[in-house]
Amino acid sequence: MGEQALKLWKDWRLHVIVLAIVAVTESIGIFSIPLGPGTILLLPMLYAVVIGLGLYFTPLINDKQSINAEPLVFLSVSVLIAKFGVQAGPALPQIIEAGPALLLQEFGNLGTIFLALPLAVFLGLKRESIGMTHSIGREANLALITDKYGLSSPEGRGVMAMYIFGTVFGSIFIGLISGFLATVTPLHPISFAMATGVGSGSMAAASLGPLVAAFPEMSETLTAFSGVSNLISSVTGLYMSIFVGLPLTVKMYEILSKNKEKKAAKGSVEYVKKR
Amino acid sequence: MLKSVKEWILVFLIIGVIMLIGNWIGYDVLPWTALPGIAILIGISLAGLIIHRLLPFQLPSIAYIGIIGLILTIPGMPGSAQIAAYTAEVNLLAIATPILAYAGVSIGRSWFDFVQLGWKTIVIGMFVLLGTFLGSAVIAEIILRFQGII
Repeated sequence: MGEQALKLWKDWRLHVIVLAIVAVTESIGIFSIPLGPGTILLLPMLYAVVIGLGLYFTPLINDKQSINAEPLVFLSVSVLIAKFGVQAGPALPQIIEAGPALLLQEFGNLGTIFLALPLAVFLGLKRESIGMTHSIGREANLALITDKYGLSSPEGRGVMAMYIFGTVFGSIFIGLISGFLATVTPLHPISFAMATGVGSGSMAAASLGPLVAAFPEMSETLTAFSGVSNLISSVTGLYMSIFVGLPLTVKMYEILSKNKEKKAAKGSVEYVKKR
Repeated sequence: MLKSVKEWILVFLIIGVIMLIGNWIGYDVLPWTALPGIAILIGISLAGLIIHRLLPFQLPSIAYIGIIGLILTIPGMPGSAQIAAYTAEVNLLAIATPILAYAGVSIGRSWFDFVQLGWKTIVIGMFVLLGTFLGSAVIAEIILRFQGII
């Protein structure tokens, strides 16, 4: 990252546009929309991602800015991670006390396999569903699947689709649901803070933001737990996918698709969608 | 290496200024009040990136950055209270907004690929994110309640 002579700092057009986006979105401030028993929080960061995306289709931004922006996301995320770190230090006794929860919640990241894989099989997807649902599908997972199956295999196409989906829609979607889930479910905000370590820096920021905004009196604790969860995910995430996530997905896929065939053969399912 | 470090420093200066301005507009913290805090955060990031380059372990650079920040602020470390106080002036949301602004600009290029995904992929994608996020929260909740922490 930054190894190529990109001269990122020289792209003044990009930095001025980002500064303008920040100035505008921070002046707009936070809006909360009550939705049933919960609240959806609209934060400046959410407007920022939408405005940034929209500007790509104007002459203000061309491909050069868009390409340069990618390593800048990484470098600005590192400032966020530093902030996570300095919040975690003072909270160390609490973190050690909550250690078991912090470590074991990593297994919760496998929730996608139990929620999304059956849906994918139900919708008629074949081995693409393995690539799609074995993990959140970020860079590390893309590399893992490509290494194991190749990018043009069904599994590879699946993980690539999820990678594109997550890139464009991930932070927007998780930013919208995180505050809503925290206000509508009986789960504690700390549990959600621990869940923000999903394996992507911008998604972590987008999911923690609404939690901090919704529970300002707990903001330091929430940030500390989110930080440690992100730290654990960044170290263990890939190994979790290699040794648990992917084998489990493959196994479950085989069981699910076999069941589906059986049902189809018995005629208990009206039709099986041909792909 | 030296070239990268120079590039990082220049980029961090720009990002730092943007974050200070966002922190001022959105959260009413004057830039000079937040300046020591952002300088510390940038210093930690830079140290993490450099250590990542120098050490042979297969750990991501953000792991080093997080660990350095954590060690510096453990109660009892010299200057830890000061570091915690300075960095508290930099609002988390003020850091997050520029990240997502850069992210927004960078995802523009993927838009045409995105619109070609079928509706099934989009629905499944939402369930992937939901499952990953909610799965962790549920497990954390069970264990925290079991321990009597919450």
